[in-house]
Amino acid sequence: MKKYILVRALYSVVTLWLLVTIIFGLVRLTGDPVAMKAEAGADPAYVAQLRHSWGLDQPLHRQYMGFIGRLLRGDFGHSFEKSLPVRDIYFERLPNSLKLGFAAFLISLALGVPFGMLSALKVNSVWDNAGKVIALLGLSMPGFFVGLVLIIVFGIQLGWLPVLGKGSSAFVWSAPSTWATFWFRDWAHLAMPAFALGWYFSGAMLRITRSGMLDVLGSDYIKLVRLKGVPEAVVVAKHALKNSMIPVLTFAGLNLLIMVNVSVVIEVIFNWPGVGQLLYDALSNRDFPMVQGVVLMSGLLIVLLNFTIDVLYGYVDPRIRLSR
Amino acid sequence: MATIPIATDQTVAVLRVARRGYRALQNVPVIPLLMLGVLTAMAILAPIVAPHSKLDPVKPLRGQCLAKFNMPDCPYVDNAPPFWAAGGTLDTPLGTDSLGRDVLSRLMHGARISLIVALTGTLFAGAIGTILGVLAGYMGRWWDEIIMRITDAWLTLPSLVFAILLSSVREPSLWNVVLILGLVFWSRYSRAVRGEVLTLRERDFVKLAEINGIDKLTIIRRHLIPNVMNTVMVLFSLQVGVAVIIEASLSFLGFGVPPPEPSWGLMMAQERESLMEGRWWLEVFPGICITMLVLSANMLGDWLRVRLDPQLRNR
Amino acid sequence: MIKRAFAILSVLTFTCGVAWGQSTPSTTKPILSGPLAKLDIKDAQIEPGRGVPKGTLRVGLHFGIDPGWFDPLGYYGPALHFYYLVHDALIKPMPQGEFTYSLAERAEMSADFRRAAFRLRPGLKFQDGHPLTTADVKWTYENYRGLGFKYLQDKTENIQLVDDRTIIFHFKTPFVDFLDLYSGSGSGIGWIVPRHYYEQVGKDGFKARPMGAGPFKFVSQEAGVQVSFEAWDQYWRRVPGVKTINIKAIRDLAARMAGLETGELDLAYGMTGKLLQRVMADPKLRWDPNYTSPWHLVFPGYNEPSSPFHDPRVRQAVSLAINRQFLVKQETQGIGKPWGNWISHENRDALRGDGTDLPVPPYDPAKAKQLLAEVGYPNGFDFDWYVPFAPYYDMAERILNDLRAVGMRSKVQMLDAPAYMAQTSKGRKGFPGNRTIVQRIDPRPGGAKELIRLYAVCDGPASYICEPKLETLWAKHEASIDVAERDRLSKELQRAIVEGYYLVPVYLNPFVHAVTQKVLPEGQTVHRYWDTVNAPFPWPWEVWEVKG
Repeated sequence: MKKYILVRALYSVVTLWLLVTIIFGLVRLTGDPVAMKAEAGADPAYVAQLRHSWGLDQPLHRQYMGFIGRLLRGDFGHSFEKSLPVRDIYFERLPNSLKLGFAAFLISLALGVPFGMLSALKVNSVWDNAGKVIALLGLSMPGFFVGLVLIIVFGIQLGWLPVLGKGSSAFVWSAPSTWATFWFRDWAHLAMPAFALGWYFSGAMLRITRSGMLDVLGSDYIKLVRLKGVPEAVVVAKHALKNSMIPVLTFAGLNLLIMVNVSVVIEVIFNWPGVGQLLYDALSNRDFPMVQGVVLMSGLLIVLLNFTIDVLYGYVDPRIRLSR
Repeated sequence: MATIPIATDQTVAVLRVARRGYRALQNVPVIPLLMLGVLTAMAILAPIVAPHSKLDPVKPLRGQCLAKFNMPDCPYVDNAPPFWAAGGTLDTPLGTDSLGRDVLSRLMHGARISLIVALTGTLFAGAIGTILGVLAGYMGRWWDEIIMRITDAWLTLPSLVFAILLSSVREPSLWNVVLILGLVFWSRYSRAVRGEVLTLRERDFVKLAEINGIDKLTIIRRHLIPNVMNTVMVLFSLQVGVAVIIEASLSFLGFGVPPPEPSWGLMMAQERESLMEGRWWLEVFPGICITMLVLSANMLGDWLRVRLDPQLRNR
Repeated sequence: MIKRAFAILSVLTFTCGVAWGQSTPSTTKPILSGPLAKLDIKDAQIEPGRGVPKGTLRVGLHFGIDPGWFDPLGYYGPALHFYYLVHDALIKPMPQGEFTYSLAERAEMSADFRRAAFRLRPGLKFQDGHPLTTADVKWTYENYRGLGFKYLQDKTENIQLVDDRTIIFHFKTPFVDFLDLYSGSGSGIGWIVPRHYYEQVGKDGFKARPMGAGPFKFVSQEAGVQVSFEAWDQYWRRVPGVKTINIKAIRDLAARMAGLETGELDLAYGMTGKLLQRVMADPKLRWDPNYTSPWHLVFPGYNEPSSPFHDPRVRQAVSLAINRQFLVKQETQGIGKPWGNWISHENRDALRGDGTDLPVPPYDPAKAKQLLAEVGYPNGFDFDWYVPFAPYYDMAERILNDLRAVGMRSKVQMLDAPAYMAQTSKGRKGFPGNRTIVQRIDPRPGGAKELIRLYAVCDGPASYICEPKLETLWAKHEASIDVAERDRLSKELQRAIVEGYYLVPVYLNPFVHAVTQKVLPEGQTVHRYWDTVNAPFPWPWEVWEVKG
């Protein structure tokens, strides 16, 4: 078991190193941030000073070694665009993205799982098709369109929900809200962005629930339970549903982190101050340290999650850890 | 004695074919195929059938300039509504946009662009992903480890990075979007294909081929690739929908197909404020087209998955 | 007895004389000896009473917030928006005028422009109570590393601290434009930074929690997202009218509009383009056109013979082809003004382009085609690129349509904002080839002469124009120390540039700001917030008032 864990840890480190190197190279191909920040008529002394303070006047290999060295000490550098340490800014934003992701995940479960179950129980019927269409509609419309319609209907016309991201409420602007106050007071800000994002993922949830349920419903175990005379409702609720949740939860964990990419559009429309918007700003302004930091942190979280899943599977299923 | 007409051989044969055809038709997903068919026809026939140009503003009809601007003559009339609303004409049945261009013609030409981008991008991703997946699954430990590590690292790279990179290095164009789609999505294919290949290579026909001394490349070409095609096709049809939405999101962020080309995603992204202003037709019509395309691609994909997977077929 | 009376009388006279001498306001006492230059600096208009600040003003900014903008020592970009909140300068642009006394109560320059002197008001403090003295002014000047720092520091010979409130700058050569650069509009060097606090918290600490002598105190920020300020009731000029100001970065136009409509924002910038009609139609919103600067087209590489724009008749054809009246109707609902100059009229030395100084360019596509035929392009020609100012891509399409109608055909080159800035800030060198048209706008302060220095002289940092006639005029301008003559030469240069079609002006751009009903005063007098000359944003902030 120990050997297995070590091997998987080594793989994770290699993956991370590859990621860091790839992003270091890629981002430097996108242009010169000094040229973009210096205005017309900026004197050469100012430009030279800027380039030096950002470390861009050094040869590439020196920049890379310096970058890796600082990384190992936990220093992600200073943002070019926001002038403050990357790590501080990232961790200030991360809870916002996690809140949004978590709420969207709950909504995608609430939309996807019941329809998935319905599809599996009444295969190829009208219910099956209707449920599929509703969940798939979320996948079929661009996020910025769904978001805009929600803002117009619920924000402007009906006035039920606030349209700007967290923090615009008069009570809370002066202090960043704590988790407790957030869930009791600020949920209104989260409702629309989470719905827009959650609807998008509910299609995938529906598919996984449906195929998981179909697998379980056809298995011998369920046949046995039915033979015992257990009522159908209990069969479905107690036995089938529980067992089909495993693939859903596995998928969900990974989803939460992949949402960083997809949520950029939602965050821009609803002005939700999350990590996706941070990345978009950083890329638009060629903010090298910030791009490197955000991509690395997201990658780190995904790799850690994969590592944990691998270790858990290896623990649970001896065939996996003994096969290599 | 009256003779009872007996069905001749010919009639029986025709009936048999008809019955088989009818049963086949019942299993085929008619609605998605119809929708896809209409969209593809639109794309192919656009240059012939579209009433106006996709890029140039429509010359206003007599009286339109006077009605809108109080000027006897103007270069174009912008934001005309669809023909059933006040101020609309049959000349531009679905209205015009803020630069005076005909919405219907742009939608038809847009079908080309959206289909080309989605199909080519997904094909590109599929090709790379399948090849790498087969190599990883079949060529041995080292190939597998290296390719899988790269895939893992690549999966965590946001598509936005590629979008900005490509737009800085090359002129923004249709092919940039195709490249982005290919570069970002190949990793989804390689994992699935690798899994398939790992099971396939334990099968008898592959082992027999190896024993007979056939080289690895021929085995890949003749035995492995045709057999992973099922998985690949399912993934492909599901990814087409994702590709269309990603193209729209990239256009919204400014990195998609560059204006003035009429891609549906770009039309939706540019006209968001028009929806707020009440000019709903500029946003809703491209939206309907995108939704039709993605829905039908997804439904087709789901149907294919059930058809091609023997375990699921009999449910 | 008479001797004693005489002694008492003389003592009394002496004391009275001294007392009378003291009560003369020290603002009138000159600092420098010798002849002085005539300066036009307006009075600060200090409020007599101390009111109570009320309410919250929530602002929607159309770009992200960089904490670097809180630090005057590193000035760049739209930092002035935040300097007017947290910091103060000796002299700064205010509604009263381009130069208005702020921290300083008297400013002088010697007639040969080699010395500049300032006297601070009595009793000035920073927001933490620490006194503000000329030592802070000198320290700020010497530690400034923002735009233009080398130019200013190289020209300065030494800085003399006469006492806690009086300071004299000595320059190596006559420095006519010193006040333009020091007056808090063109650089950060005039905005006084608290030395004791800066040295205590360091550069990063200052950006995370800035502090200065301005009307609002920093409260909190989420980097890049939003920042909050609170009124400082000890500000020398007046107690601010609003209690708190919350500024949020909302890049999306539709989101800002939604924020105004639901009442989550009170003031929003950049409400132009497709939503302007809705802003104008909404009875709950008031909007200010906020004219900034004229759009204009430049032709990088025009003076190379191989360029299609080499002949001035071709450039004139470009100007004649653009239907400005229709363009402003489409782009700005008609409030944009077709304009004949490329420099904002709010600059003191600028020519107006509405017909008073320079004519409004005519629309004559027939003549444009005729001119092209004369030059040798009877069927027009293709050129490589039209580079728009991100994100005004629709406007680029409209102008290209107009050009296409007379035969000049091209494509729009999509550059995103940072790439556009990077290329255009290099001038002609930022664009390969000589078959490009670039659309530009530059609402920067400093007068017409600053824009000419940047763009229209051969060795300007972002030069697009290089002509010997203009060079002679410019050399004369730089050599002169007579303000009136410099203004005259600047105007002559502008006329020569426009009449030679080295640039083609289009229309004066309105960058609309909108406020909700919560903002006081009610009705249209709210426009007074936009009275400051050459200001892209409605500062000063201490005069704003909202309903509680």
